[in-house]
Amino acid sequence: MTTIRRFCCNDLLRFTSVNLDHLTETFNMSFYMTYLARWPDYFHVAEAPGNRIMGYIMGKVEGQGECWHGHVTAVTVAPEYRRQQLAKKLMNLLEDISDKIDKAYFVDLFVRASNTPAIKMYEKLGYVIYRRVLRYYSGEEDGLDMRKALSRDVEKKSIIPLKRPITPDELEYD
Amino acid sequence: MASKFGLAGGIPERRVRPIWDAIDSRQFKNALKQSTTLLSKFPNSPYALALKALILERMGKPDEALTVCLSAKDLLYKNDSVLMDDLTLSTLQIVFQRLDHLDLATSCYEYACGKFPNNLELMMGLFNCYVREYSFVKQQQTAIRMYKLVGEERFLLWAICSIQLQVFCGNGGEKLLLLAEGLIKKHVASHSLHEPEALIVYISVLEQQAKYGDALEILSGKLGSLLMIEVDKLRIQGRLLARAGDYAAAASIFQKILELCPDDWECFLHYLGCLLEDDSNWSNGVLNDPIHPPKFIDCKLSHLADEVFDSCMSNAVAFIQKLQADTSNNILRGPYLANLEVERRKHLYGKGDDDKIMEALMQYFFRFGHLACFTSDVEVYLEVLTHDKKTEFLEKLMKSSESNSAVPTKELGKSITLLKVQELIGKMYRLPKSELEGSAVQMAEMYCKNLPLSKDLDPQESMHGEELLSMVCNILVQLFWRTGDLGYFVEAIMVLEFGLSIRRFVWQYKILLLHLYSHMGALSLAYEWYKSLDVKNILMESVSHHILPQMLVSPLWVDLNNLLKDYLKFMDDHFRESADLTFLAYRHRNYSKVIEFVQFKERLQHSNQYLVARVEAPILQLKKNADNVEEAECVLDSLKCGIHFLELSNEIGSKSLTFNEDLQSRPWWTPTSEKNYLLGPFEGISYCPRENLTKEREANLRRVIERKSLLPRMVYLSIQSASTLLKENIEVNGSVSDPKISSELKILLERYVKLLGLSLSDAIEVVVGVSSGIKPSSAITPDLIDWLNFAVFLNAWNLSSHELAQPDGEGHRPGTWHIVDSLLEKYISEVVRSIDPIICAPWIDLPNLVQLVTEPLAWHSLVLQSCVRSSLPSGKKKKKGGQDLSNSPLTHAIRESIQSLYGTVENVMKWLREQIKRPEDENLETILSFVQKTGQNEGPGQVFKILETYVSSVNDAELGERISEAVKSWSPADVARKIITGKCTVLSEFLKICESKFKSLKTLKQQISQV
Repeated sequence: MTTIRRFCCNDLLRFTSVNLDHLTETFNMSFYMTYLARWPDYFHVAEAPGNRIMGYIMGKVEGQGECWHGHVTAVTVAPEYRRQQLAKKLMNLLEDISDKIDKAYFVDLFVRASNTPAIKMYEKLGYVIYRRVLRYYSGEEDGLDMRKALSRDVEKKSIIPLKRPITPDELEYD
Repeated sequence: MASKFGLAGGIPERRVRPIWDAIDSRQFKNALKQSTTLLSKFPNSPYALALKALILERMGKPDEALTVCLSAKDLLYKNDSVLMDDLTLSTLQIVFQRLDHLDLATSCYEYACGKFPNNLELMMGLFNCYVREYSFVKQQQTAIRMYKLVGEERFLLWAICSIQLQVFCGNGGEKLLLLAEGLIKKHVASHSLHEPEALIVYISVLEQQAKYGDALEILSGKLGSLLMIEVDKLRIQGRLLARAGDYAAAASIFQKILELCPDDWECFLHYLGCLLEDDSNWSNGVLNDPIHPPKFIDCKLSHLADEVFDSCMSNAVAFIQKLQADTSNNILRGPYLANLEVERRKHLYGKGDDDKIMEALMQYFFRFGHLACFTSDVEVYLEVLTHDKKTEFLEKLMKSSESNSAVPTKELGKSITLLKVQELIGKMYRLPKSELEGSAVQMAEMYCKNLPLSKDLDPQESMHGEELLSMVCNILVQLFWRTGDLGYFVEAIMVLEFGLSIRRFVWQYKILLLHLYSHMGALSLAYEWYKSLDVKNILMESVSHHILPQMLVSPLWVDLNNLLKDYLKFMDDHFRESADLTFLAYRHRNYSKVIEFVQFKERLQHSNQYLVARVEAPILQLKKNADNVEEAECVLDSLKCGIHFLELSNEIGSKSLTFNEDLQSRPWWTPTSEKNYLLGPFEGISYCPRENLTKEREANLRRVIERKSLLPRMVYLSIQSASTLLKENIEVNGSVSDPKISSELKILLERYVKLLGLSLSDAIEVVVGVSSGIKPSSAITPDLIDWLNFAVFLNAWNLSSHELAQPDGEGHRPGTWHIVDSLLEKYISEVVRSIDPIICAPWIDLPNLVQLVTEPLAWHSLVLQSCVRSSLPSGKKKKKGGQDLSNSPLTHAIRESIQSLYGTVENVMKWLREQIKRPEDENLETILSFVQKTGQNEGPGQVFKILETYVSSVNDAELGERISEAVKSWSPADVARKIITGKCTVLSEFLKICESKFKSLKTLKQQISQV
């Protein structure tokens, strides 16, 4: 019972119960609005009956050549609506848009190396650990760069894991 | 920035790059040095000057930066040979913007565009300037010029958006939309459209003119293929058909969408609405309040004939059955909840069958009863049932849930749902006290019993059964309200603290706790928990309401100052950067976001909370500096003597306020920040709805803001009015103060009391009456602080106007002085007496006391300081043998007033010290005695007992090390100690404020004795 639609500014005032969760970051306004202004198709919200916000996904598409890819910046679901595969649904939507509309090669995301539940979930959704980024989170915790190849990457070259970890300044994009 | 340029203003790049590098790495001194060198080589280059200005601004030298910018501007205007490139202008623009001189940036671009009319880059810069200024008409004109110049689709759409903005956010009439339509039509005929967003704008322009047929035609034509996601296209199509009134076609479109996305609930509602030819979904166009959409969907059904209705319903049922059969995914709730919606519509039509609704509810429970969202899903449908039917349904639920599910987490989920349904239908609160206690005990036991289920969860993950403790707290607070027994209140705190020691991330517990602590008067503790919620950025707008109102009337000035400062900074930063983000949307051709961004900015600008914070921030500064009239005057100077806030006060009546607070997360006993059921007697409400009181709140807040924003000016005028009172060489009672001051103050007094619902003369009668005991206190207690403020300003006004100079019977005491003194004395001592000395009692009146001392008393002390200052010899001049003021009635009155204030503050300090110095052990024992009641099987403490027993017999193996350690870490004595410290912190802060006032009054006493 989920209406998935584009995220809009007013949703910023309604996502409180999702964002009060300590694992969900509340970014500054220009961050959200830059995503809305540049990649509105990559920012979706799921609503339950009574117009309650269940969760949302924000992402973007960027890169050059064979690195043209979709990126999941955040995906989050309110506790009340967990264990209903909503995150999967939102991820599939973003993958679909990256694949069909923007013809990207892969989708990637970053996750805290310690966040085992999330890593397991992404693995279930078909993501593999592509590389480790040392001290990616506030210079403390390592991040894992996880990827999933899309149909354009026929040989699945984009997801062959790197042998060595990299440092944040070696990242191609912010 | 550094990578963007080639040759700037004729300066080779290699000379400029190092300067940008230095700026980028924040080495401003170095950058400035290099820019000076550059300027010596290129003294007439506006770009070199702009660079220098930019560096100066970054170094925090705004005045110098502005001077340099202006000379760059002069150069640009003066010298025809000077290159006028976008880089120079955009650099200047950045600096002008940061210096709050958008207009200067705009005029530079306007000049440049006039000089080089065909330069697209400059025109884009100019367009950007107009976006920043929200000049929609000029935006449109500039976009059209660009469009004419190069014929690009995007510039046409920039113009169209600018037209829409005029209609929706400006003064443009709807006729303008016709112009927009014509422009697009013409373009489509010659060039077609190439961007999906362009098509969406085109359709929106038609839709806004109710030209649904035209829009549909375009959508189904060649242009429709621009929308690549089929469902998106269908959604628009369905909406247009429905708005055009072609319900049959719309229903079949929505049916199609549901076949593709069977879980799309909104679409299902549209489908059903269209089947029933119900236009209530479409006629308003948009929701009245997009932030708080109504829980109940309006339906209009009466127009349908019986048989039509029946056939519609059977069609719907058949379709739902098909959806259910087609979906293999049994997690989808939509197709099953649909049954309930159908039954609800039947009920609304008058053909309802409660048994069928119950049956549908049961079915839904069998499938989804274990989900945390079950109750919120079915809330609307339960409401349809009568009270008896609700109870019947509950009994059925109970019976059915006796059969155990194989999965323990699901089992727990179902049990919780059962309890939540009881809470929702209000059954819980109708139970006799002992049964209600029993429910709380049962919940606490369930929570403990199921803790082992969470053994292997990540510590960050929410645990099974967490909601139970929130529900226990709800019940205990209900019991407190019902019985007035503090034990329940303390117990509720203990339960939540217990939950938080097991997992410290549960925000629901934190919010409940912060309200309990606030109510108790342990505000510093409440604020601690609030801080742990990490409320930042936009959450400050939607979540601060949990703490801000209490902080505004507290003595925790440092924390309050931070709270206000952070919030205002967030909002003001957004207002500053919002236009740049709007331009970003233009640039990336996401036109629909342009209007959204502008409307969102307006929504935030009209936020009631923002306006309150804007007024309260300077008032806080005044309060903080009220013990030193010179410092208070500095604050007032920075506020332009309060004039600015007068303007706000004047405007507020015509402003529409927005309410962006998320009230859903508030506890039942305080559904809005103005309402707290616990302050009143038990009303026996069994269901505490989070009423949407927006209308009432709006009227109320408007008055509050209007009244508050008069304060700074009234304080200023009062100080002025008293400032020449005891000057030498003036006649006694003769005024030398500016008559304008007294007449302005009178006007403001009139406005102030008008907001309290009275005329000035009536209001004067009230304060005179109350102070002399002729009128009862109740005449002013609901707005006590406002009334006392009024008395203070009235006296100040009377100092210069003498309109009310009626001495009392003995002829040497001007009346208004006495009114102020006696009112302050009376109410402050009353409040002090009324506060329950028990440490964990809710100190409901403490905020009143704090306000009395930090507002009216403080303003009055400023008046006194100003009086006394006027009597002091200025400079080194020796006192001349002028008139002796020492025995004048006025001096006498001032002296007495100071003495009265001095005594009043002294009493408050005495009370505060008594509270603070009470031994901790004694307090600790008091608190714990409320919950540790051995041998009693009813009354407060039952839940507490369960928890204590559980903690003492915790099974490490079953719970796992992490959870069992956490359980054991809960210490009721620590919680009690925290409460004591929390309350004492508030008292100590208040004591500091009082001590400072006391000191200042002591000085005044000495000074006046020498007059």
